[in-house]
Amino acid sequence: MGETGKEDYKIQSFDSETQKLLKTALKDPSNVDLEKVANIIVDQSLKDFVFSKEAGRICYTIIQAESKQVGQSIFRRSLLNRLQQEYKDREELRTRSLQAWICYVTFICNIFDYLRVNNMPMMALVNPVYDCLFRLAQPDSLQKEEEVSAGRAADVPVVLPKDCKKHSWGRGGAEEPPLLCAQHLLFLLKVDCLVLQLHRIGEQLEKMNSQRMDELFSLLRDGFLLQEGLSSLSQLLLLEIIEFRAADWKMTDAAQKYYYSEVTD
Amino acid sequence: MSFRQRSPHGSTKSSPQHPPRWAQARKRGADGKRRRQNEPESSVFEENKPRPEDSRLDSFTTPEGPGPLSRCLDWGTAVEEDEMRTNVHKEIARHRRKLLINEFSRERKSSSGSSDSKESTVTAELETDEVVLMRRQKQINYGKNTIAYDRYIKEVPRCHRIPGVHPRTPNKFKKYSRRSWDQQIKLWKVALHSWDPPTEGGCDLQEICPVDLGEMETESVGSNSTESQTSCQDNDDTCSGTPTKVRHVDYQAEGEFDLEVCLSEPLKEFDTVS
Repeated sequence: MGETGKEDYKIQSFDSETQKLLKTALKDPSNVDLEKVANIIVDQSLKDFVFSKEAGRICYTIIQAESKQVGQSIFRRSLLNRLQQEYKDREELRTRSLQAWICYVTFICNIFDYLRVNNMPMMALVNPVYDCLFRLAQPDSLQKEEEVSAGRAADVPVVLPKDCKKHSWGRGGAEEPPLLCAQHLLFLLKVDCLVLQLHRIGEQLEKMNSQRMDELFSLLRDGFLLQEGLSSLSQLLLLEIIEFRAADWKMTDAAQKYYYSEVTD
Repeated sequence: MSFRQRSPHGSTKSSPQHPPRWAQARKRGADGKRRRQNEPESSVFEENKPRPEDSRLDSFTTPEGPGPLSRCLDWGTAVEEDEMRTNVHKEIARHRRKLLINEFSRERKSSSGSSDSKESTVTAELETDEVVLMRRQKQINYGKNTIAYDRYIKEVPRCHRIPGVHPRTPNKFKKYSRRSWDQQIKLWKVALHSWDPPTEGGCDLQEICPVDLGEMETESVGSNSTESQTSCQDNDDTCSGTPTKVRHVDYQAEGEFDLEVCLSEPLKEFDTVS
């Protein structure tokens, strides 16, 4: 397996001891404490955004390996129950760290995407995933978040627009405004996460419950998009996902050109 | 995927003072971890952890209930139920196809036209109630999640089973009354006890003899079984190995399609154990 294995599962961020454990879990699951492995994976996914985006894959492989080797599903059960636990305490998680919350949403959506049951998505996760997306899309007072998460927000690499209409900086002064004030940055993170998840699992989610998808999108259109002072990047992301869904979750040529191509003036 | 379940919470049995022998022969504890044999502390009745299965069992034992999905399930259990349900649906479809194929081929061989009516009645009389099927499947799983069953299928491959002598899993797709089914399950599990592992208190060596279903709890077979097991493994390469391999071989070894045998067992790709 070697380097390719690490690459596929993005486990470089773990210490070598843990990496060994994970590799054993992938090859010989009956000989590891699978509940412990599940907890390790969930813990890491709440800290490491890159990992949370792709952790579904390693989970899927462990589940298959365990099923094949011993016909059990201990890992899946531990993983799901731990996920459920975090879900129940999600408000606390969100208050504690917006970034961890975004990581959680990313992770649960990734799990929903990868772990299927007889080629069907897991029914039990549909409503929780919707709940998370709704929560992400809810416009709420950002002042608290500004204080709490401003520092951590910088950890996530995002492209920052230069305009920031809502806040005026250094009135009359000569100083450069920051690229994006904390408020907008946080907003952008949420939008970014939301849009990413909808691209990946929107179509499936809609099949499982189209009514909630309608509600989510009306929230996006009316609540999110029309918010005053939304940064242009956020607006762009939202417009793109709205169009994407309107085109039946497919990328149209026009959209490709507009949103994803270099525009030469 | 898998049908292995954790130990039951004494669903149909009364809760005795002492854990019965079968509890000690259970190969997996309630947490799903494999137990070493002769580990008395891990008896299922001594564990005090609250079990999510309790809510699940309740929904199964009341056929008049709203449906198999209980709202207060944890995600792990909910997904497992989901999986069981979709597997059961697949099995129904496949079972029906097999019946039709078999009826069709019998009809072509025989000249009488009476098989026509037989075809429609056989497929029409299948048990299709999801709640019932899942309950039955769970009961079957409990029986198969035992060391005795493991030893049984290792020792006696399906191709070598003698009808009437070797226990056969009840066919969940046939229409039976609740009592009839429960009784079949009970007798089946009793019969499986012949393959219980030797207990600490020493085992009585016995010849392998036809199991008299009137007797309760025959002692496990001793050295004879291990002998036959090793000889089976030595001589017949294809009979050894994991249960999955054994199952695979059966289909190949049997020249003719044996409907009875196939109908009595769940499908091989869903049941990696038996």
